[in-house]
Amino acid sequence: MFTKVLIANRGEIAVRIIRACRELGVQTVGVFSEADRQALHVRYADEAYLLGPAPARDSYLRGDKIISIAQKCGADAIHPGYGFLAERADFAEACQEAGLAFIGPKPSAIAAMGDKAVARATVARAGIPVIPGTEGEGALSDDELLAVAPKIGFPLLIKPTAGGGGKGMREVVELGEMPNLLNASRREAEASFGDGNVYLEKLVKGARHIEIQILADTQGNVIHLGERECSMQRRHQKLLEESPSPFVADDQALRDRMGDVAVRTAQAVSYVNAGTIEFLVDRDKNFFFLEMNTRLQVEHPVTELVTGVDIVREQIRIARGRQLRYTQDDIVMNGCAIECRINAEDPYNDFLPSTGIVTHSLLPTGPAVRVDTGIYPGFEISPYYDSLISKLIVWGDKRSEAILRMRRSLEEYRILGVRTNIPFHQSLMASFLFMGGFYDTRFVEEKFSMESAAEGKDDSSEIAAIIASLVAHQQTQRAAHIIQRNERDTSNWKWVSRWERMRK
Amino acid sequence: MKYIATIGKHEYLVEIIDEHTVILDGQSYSVDFDSLNDQPVYSLLLDGHSYESYVYPGDEGMQVILHGHQFLANVEDERERRLRAAAGGKVSKKTVFHLKAPMPGLTVAVSVEEGQEVAAGEVLVILESMKMQNELKSPRAGKVSRLLVRPGDRVEQRQTLLSVV
Repeated sequence: MFTKVLIANRGEIAVRIIRACRELGVQTVGVFSEADRQALHVRYADEAYLLGPAPARDSYLRGDKIISIAQKCGADAIHPGYGFLAERADFAEACQEAGLAFIGPKPSAIAAMGDKAVARATVARAGIPVIPGTEGEGALSDDELLAVAPKIGFPLLIKPTAGGGGKGMREVVELGEMPNLLNASRREAEASFGDGNVYLEKLVKGARHIEIQILADTQGNVIHLGERECSMQRRHQKLLEESPSPFVADDQALRDRMGDVAVRTAQAVSYVNAGTIEFLVDRDKNFFFLEMNTRLQVEHPVTELVTGVDIVREQIRIARGRQLRYTQDDIVMNGCAIECRINAEDPYNDFLPSTGIVTHSLLPTGPAVRVDTGIYPGFEISPYYDSLISKLIVWGDKRSEAILRMRRSLEEYRILGVRTNIPFHQSLMASFLFMGGFYDTRFVEEKFSMESAAEGKDDSSEIAAIIASLVAHQQTQRAAHIIQRNERDTSNWKWVSRWERMRK
Repeated sequence: MKYIATIGKHEYLVEIIDEHTVILDGQSYSVDFDSLNDQPVYSLLLDGHSYESYVYPGDEGMQVILHGHQFLANVEDERERRLRAAAGGKVSKKTVFHLKAPMPGLTVAVSVEEGQEVAAGEVLVILESMKMQNELKSPRAGKVSRLLVRPGDRVEQRQTLLSVV
């Protein structure tokens, strides 16, 4: 039993966790870097303590400092959120040693799932299908890879061990072409990441990324909360999630099978607390274990909206040693939820991150709309952390209703001061392939572009022309006004220079 | 005041009569136009129809974002258009391109060398910011000159990294 929780995170997830604590009547402690003095989680927490300079390694990754703050202020538990220290077995262990409850799995489960080779071996032993490949087996030579390739089967992928973004990735159709492709892949990986190591993975055509949320208590009860569709990705970053998956849809048998495998995966490592098992699902509905995330996921709200389970509250209850309040039969998925990740990045300029002070923020509200965010007008988006600034989640009775609701919510949402990817999501919501649920993990890169999405739809260019002209007119008028003679006590030249400096 | 707004291949003749009237391609509309809280977001009531739009000035004209769509508009008044016609069409684009950091960050890699010829779209520098590696590309072909950064350098927003001539 504990009464005060330290949240070792920042941004929207820290705010989310504080909310759950408040609703449970638990005291909250925030920690912050020098860049986050003004952050919402500092303002919302009951207590807040400075960690250190802005870079994460000097602040949010300082496990030692976080533990000593917890001890000093009398917190008895630590919630790590996601990212930062959430999947560090050594941190979870250090918490335990310091007599603090770690709101998450046991260190042994984090370690078992954190090492890819161990994770694959563990689940394979439990009879769970893994994606064939050599990931996690260390640096193999070309000869070793060529020998193992036929066992994996073609087509397969050569992937660099370091980094992502499709760099250095090569598709191999037959053994004969493999030596050349290996060379090319290693060269590109070396140039991009300074590390030429590669691994092989069976190529799953039209792969979808679908994950199952599980909850496990200390009494040994494990349940799953259905699936989330996470195939909408760009450079391996998820952009949008929905539950249920339009691919699984009403195939309850598939959902049950995946759920069962997820539960068994959790049991294989004696898992406790909330976790997520990620699967790759092919066109024929075969699914393979990809990895287990031993923490709260960014996209947990979509599951909350369709199941009605407050996952963060359950996490805290589980960490307090309580039994799960739900059995598998209690879990019913109702309607459909979609989450759009709002990132500070410019969809019209190669999705480059955008930093600056948020000057204006108007949140969408109304029926069945939820916004999880840590920003507000006046808050500065710094380059030190992730570009995720807000999550817009909507619920609908049917998927079509959720899409329509998301469209109107995106149109309502106004964020100024930094560029956001809201227009990207708006284009996505208008895409016929998305509406039909026909998308896989390569959709954004291969079948979507902001330009083509705009083609032939909603042609408001006349309106845009009027708006642009009116803005140009205002600017001209303002400039003319400034250089009118004798209207001011100071010299007009001074005025012009001041005005220009202001506009720089 | 008459303006010519060019969006894509279309040219629109927009005449602003007074604060409440515009004529677009010969048709008259009543307008009520205001920026919201002095932000670059504008509200337009056009014959009673309500529109809201982000408008950002840029190097290549104005970026208007309306209903989640982007329109790149080039607006000229009649005088500017005549001047441009007299100058013989478009101003030559053969000016020096200075690659400026779009955000503060850490230079991860410099993909080019001083004096190297680059094609349009070629990656010049990889800059890490917000945990992402971002490729900064050359908007046009040319030769790299004045290479000012090295891998590992921290850069400020708008700092010039290199030039393409």
